This record gives sequence, structure tokens and C-alpha cells, in this order.
Amino acid sequence: MTDSPSPSNDSLPAEVIARTFVVMPAFNESACIAQVSAKVRALYPNVVVVDDGSTDDTFAAARDSATYVLRHPVNRGQGAALQTGIMFALARGAEYIVSFDSDGQHEVDDIAALVAPIHAGTCDVSLGSRFLGETFEMPLSRRMLLRLAVLFTRAVSRVRVTDTHNGLRAFSRPAAEQMNITLDRMAHASELLDQIRQNRLEYREVPVRVRYTDYSLAKGQSARGAIRILIHYIFGRMIR
Amino acid sequence: MNAFQILALGILLCLFIVTILAIARGIVSRRDGILWALLWLAAGIAMAFPELTVAAARRLGIGRGADLILYCAVVVMMTGFLMVYSRLRRLQREVTLLARHIAITEALDTAAHPGKSSSDVDKPGAGNEA
Repeated sequence: MTDSPSPSNDSLPAEVIARTFVVMPAFNESACIAQVSAKVRALYPNVVVVDDGSTDDTFAAARDSATYVLRHPVNRGQGAALQTGIMFALARGAEYIVSFDSDGQHEVDDIAALVAPIHAGTCDVSLGSRFLGETFEMPLSRRMLLRLAVLFTRAVSRVRVTDTHNGLRAFSRPAAEQMNITLDRMAHASELLDQIRQNRLEYREVPVRVRYTDYSLAKGQSARGAIRILIHYIFGRMIR
Repeated sequence: MNAFQILALGILLCLFIVTILAIARGIVSRRDGILWALLWLAAGIAMAFPELTVAAARRLGIGRGADLILYCAVVVMMTGFLMVYSRLRRLQREVTLLARHIAITEALDTAAHPGKSSSDVDKPGAGNEA
């Protein structure tokens, strides 16, 4: 994880940074959670790591670098962990809540670009898009899979976005208060877009960079995983 | 009456009696118990008088009584499957809410208490150093 010029948050006023909470759901990420959360915390003082019932020592690895470390006693899935982190951040007075993947695929630099339009009042939610931005070494199969997911989402959720499954997002406090992720596992990405539409939230896509490392690819979704997510999502919509 | 019918009716009778006893002792709710008792009763009648199921099947346009029973069984099982599935989902939902509650109330604030959660004391697993 070598870095392009050192990350910055210069574009944000200090009081915005102080009230920005970065939520990082983490499941068995002990290999890199300390490094990634330290990088985020260097710029943003409120880093919330939600250890989603990891079987490795993610919790211990995060306690030296993150500001807050939460732990699900049992594994509940990324959607559940994200919702836990959002609720915790709201309880601690967050005005801006950012979701950030803990596997190191996002750039800390991009957080400022996501929070800025919310701070400016142009939208309630900003969604990172790797297809508007520049992406390092995305394999073709991954690209096709994500494109399919986008087409599916446009048809079902009727939200026009270019990248539906990007873990980097930012919410205003009122928007985060309206979010209620009930699909515990990976299908939460689509559910989130549904709720953006249902609550008539203003959203905007922001180009972000995604770094594909062997590590993040191994932790990411294969085509088979994608089908499983699709089934969860459809069942989640059918049976409440 | 053939040997199979006698055996099956005997088993159904036992199940019926057990169910009635279970209701009487409050082991199952009255509603569930009566449903089960009615099921055993219906099975017993179908066993004892197979020509009844044949007549019912004919009336519905199905050839054999056994087929009618099979179709009914499939419908009942699918319904049961859906009910179990939706209950499972509700349970999962509740587990998530519990996990979330625990995670938030036991959150570790590294700024306030470096390296120590407020509840570390009464939570055995929490002190595992890496």
C-alpha cells in the first residue's frame, strides 16, 4: 500500500473534520486494520471500527489505532456492522458519517471530496464511484460483475448511479438518522440505495479511487458471491 | 382391515392421546394442540376409510386418493417451510439487534480509557491481548 502524494483534508474546515465520524466495518481484517485505521485517523479524529465478530484478533489490532472499537459478539455481516457503526456515531454527536472499507482499497484523500458537498448543502448522501474515478488494476471479470450489478440496481431500485457497490460513502446526520439497514449481509448496498430513494434524499456520486490489491480481491466478491447477494436481496424484499 | 391399517391406526391413536395429554398439562398451547389432534384424526379417518379419499379425489378431478394426500402434503410442507423461514429471519434480525446493543454499550473508547473498555472487568473474553 504505497501512497500517492500524502493524503490531505485541506478542503474541509476544522470544525467539520472534528464532527466527521469514519465508520469501518471489519471482519477478520487483523492483517491490515491497524494500518488502514491509523491512516484514516491521521486526518480524521473519530474513527469507529466495528469488529464484526472476527475470529482473528481484529479487535486487539484496532484498539491502538482507532478512536472507538466496537465488537459484535457474533458475526452479523457487513450491513449489520455498518448500521451499528452509524448508530454509534450518531449517539456520539456525529454531523457527517463516512463509511470506509477496512481492507485498504479506498484512499483517505477521497473522504474530503465526499464530505464537502454535504457540508456545502448540495446533497444529503454522497456515494463514491470507482467508474467516475480512476481505478488501479481492476480485473475485467470484476468490472463486468459490477456493471451487471449497476444495471440490476437501476432496474430495481430506480436510482441512477454508476457504481452501486462502493464501500466509500458519506451521510449527513439527518440522512444517517433515516437509514435503517436490515439486510445484514452484503445485500445492504442495494438496500441503502432503496432507502435513499424512499426517503427522497439528495445524493450525488463522487469519483473515488479504488485500489485492487491481492488482499482486497481475495476479500471481495466472486461471481458466485454476487448471486448469493442477489438472492438475499430478493428474499429480503419479499419476506419482511 | 389389513395389518398395515391396524398398525398405522394404533400409532395415530397413540399420537392423538399424547397430544390430548400435552394440552391438558399445558405443554403445548390449546390452539396448536387442537390443530395437531385434528391432523391425527383426519389421518386416521383417511387410513380407516380409504374409499373416502378416493371419492374426494374424484370430485376434485384427481385420479387416486393417494395422489390427493400427496398433493395436500406438499402444500402443507411448503407452507411450513415458508413459516419457518420467516421465523428464522425474524430471529436473525433479533440476534443482530442484540449484537448491536452489546457492541454499542461495550464500545471501547481508546481516547477516554486507553486500551481498556468500561466493561472489561466483567467480560472474560475482552482482555485477550494479541
